Amino acid sequence: MGDLFDFLFVNPMTNALLLLYGLLFNQYVLAIVALTLIIRLVTLPLTLKQQISAFKMQALQPQIKALQEKYKSDPQRLQAEMRKLGFNPLSGCLPLLIQFPILIALYQAIIRTLTVTPLSTLELGKHLYGFLPGLSTLVPIDSRFLLWDLGQPDPLFIIPILVVVSTYFANKVMTPPTTDPTMRQTNQMMQLMMPLMFGFFMLSTPVGLGVYWIVSNLIGIVQYYVTKPTLDRARALHAAPAVGVAAGAASPAKAEAAEKPLFEPPKSKVKAKSTGRVNRSASAAKNSAKGGRVTTTPRQP
Amino acid sequence: MKSKLRTLLFVAAVALALSACGGEISPTSFPGLTLDGADAYLASNLHVYKFDSATGVQKWMFPATEGDNNARPGPFAGPPLKFGNAIIVGETVGLNGRASHRLYALSADNGAELWRFSGGQREYTDGASTDGKLIFAPNGDNTLYALDPTQLDGGEPKLVWKFTAQDKLWVRPLVANGKVFQPSLDHNLYALDAATGKLLWTFSAGASIASHPAMADGVLYFGSFDQHMYAVDAETGAQVWRSPERLGGWVWCDPLLDGDEIFVGDVKGGVYAIDRRNGNVIWRSRVGGAIRAQPVIVGNKLYVLSSDTYLYSFDRRPRADANSASPVRVLENGLVRRLLSTPAYANGALLVPLFDGDVKLTAVDLESRQKKFEFPLAAKP
Repeated sequence: MGDLFDFLFVNPMTNALLLLYGLLFNQYVLAIVALTLIIRLVTLPLTLKQQISAFKMQALQPQIKALQEKYKSDPQRLQAEMRKLGFNPLSGCLPLLIQFPILIALYQAIIRTLTVTPLSTLELGKHLYGFLPGLSTLVPIDSRFLLWDLGQPDPLFIIPILVVVSTYFANKVMTPPTTDPTMRQTNQMMQLMMPLMFGFFMLSTPVGLGVYWIVSNLIGIVQYYVTKPTLDRARALHAAPAVGVAAGAASPAKAEAAEKPLFEPPKSKVKAKSTGRVNRSASAAKNSAKGGRVTTTPRQP
Repeated sequence: MKSKLRTLLFVAAVALALSACGGEISPTSFPGLTLDGADAYLASNLHVYKFDSATGVQKWMFPATEGDNNARPGPFAGPPLKFGNAIIVGETVGLNGRASHRLYALSADNGAELWRFSGGQREYTDGASTDGKLIFAPNGDNTLYALDPTQLDGGEPKLVWKFTAQDKLWVRPLVANGKVFQPSLDHNLYALDAATGKLLWTFSAGASIASHPAMADGVLYFGSFDQHMYAVDAETGAQVWRSPERLGGWVWCDPLLDGDEIFVGDVKGGVYAIDRRNGNVIWRSRVGGAIRAQPVIVGNKLYVLSSDTYLYSFDRRPRADANSASPVRVLENGLVRRLLSTPAYANGALLVPLFDGDVKLTAVDLESRQKKFEFPLAAKP
């Protein structure tokens, strides 16, 4: 299985990383930036799909809770009703799971190409493509970058600190807002613990991986703002019917959202307003749910 | 149909993700074995061992205690060097990085520490060499350290000279005729004066050099990551030949000279017999994993170790067809672990260092094709 993973993911990325390194003036950091950017772009549809699914599932929560309460003694009926509602817990995590091996492979490709240990270097030699013989001459890569040796842990602790800061902001920006207090508390805890955990990990990890992580976070943040209009529309589209207000009030928002192109430049002020409205709506949804006045009518396609 | 496809994709994604996370904590560098009469010295991950090469009975272990933390010596790699009554071993890359990398001299009698050298900034991956007077220790900090262990200062040997290349030195040098021939990952082979460290000549290959050179009739033979074998005049550094054929993968294997033939393997499993006079491939074959260990000749057979866990033998009879050599598995079930270090032949058995696991070495009886013993003898399950 490990061989299959290597063949499908790690080997192509390892070769691509070295190829980019050769093309980008033997600057390994530039190669990491370029490959991370390419992967982020390729997986963008999956990322968007996953985030949109998350909004959708979040919007359905009040209805699901109501259904669970109503059919707690009849699990089969509950499942049937949830299916009718369009609830699919896998739809959000499937795109994430598909991205996961790609990110792990990129991580492994960086470890391999950094040739930190004799074993990892030997592994690199086994997996270089024979039809690209020029790649062998690039090994070992020039691992110097500014103050650091990319193959060694950072003795100055600058990279671990940057990893903590960038992970914190990336998580903060990209975690979808929630009205559930328990969920909010968990998110807050994760937003603090995750960066610290990564920072701790980076204390004994080659700087090259830290650079990848920082670059990946920064690209993630930029990607978030670029795709924010699309996500905001998706959030409005999915949140509106869940609030339990009259269908007529929700329809124009949906229609407006549906007419807009998938990608467009961010209009921060307008979108901020829009986000606020949605959040208030979500809040209303929660209040409605508490009052037991939740509509379980399936949404319009 | 769509739902089935989704489930299938989901299962495939989970399986792939899990396959990437698996695996045990492994050493980072290759174990090394040295025979000295009836004794064998093995540097393998967390310890250095001395044992009886005929029976596998352990005589000592350094450090004497089990367990791992950053305060204790190790991990170790590369063949231990016998220097008088001392065994020279170096610390290699640790799993979590290390603040220091030291070269140790241990008593051959009991494994007690005699001295240590703490001048190296990075890993020692392939041991050290000697001319009988100085110890030449190549380090991952790009520097070759020449040490005089007869002059100790504060428990450390005197640094006589040092030479710094442009990249890591991951292979021990060949010392001959008052010269030190040091390969480097910076693509160069350096010839230095053994007494003074003066650079005599530099030979540039097409890529990194990580194979310990072999020498015969004043010519050095070594392989490179550019997938070629080289023959270089040891006196002048002039190229005698470069193998006309590009081999199948990087050459990280120490070449074995035997008459007019050079036996070598590559990291993609290619095995080659090369004509020592012109670099032409006489015959080639292929095994299932990377070859890093130097091949061994016993009788009429050539033995090759591979990372696919198997020990292979080849018949050395002359062949009409260059592609007719076929490998035979000496043990049908292999040795379970990757075989990446050069073995040694003693008492009818091939002592094969294993890359990782609790069993550090297996002695394979070549006559019966059975395991003779496993070291340590009472290895934990």
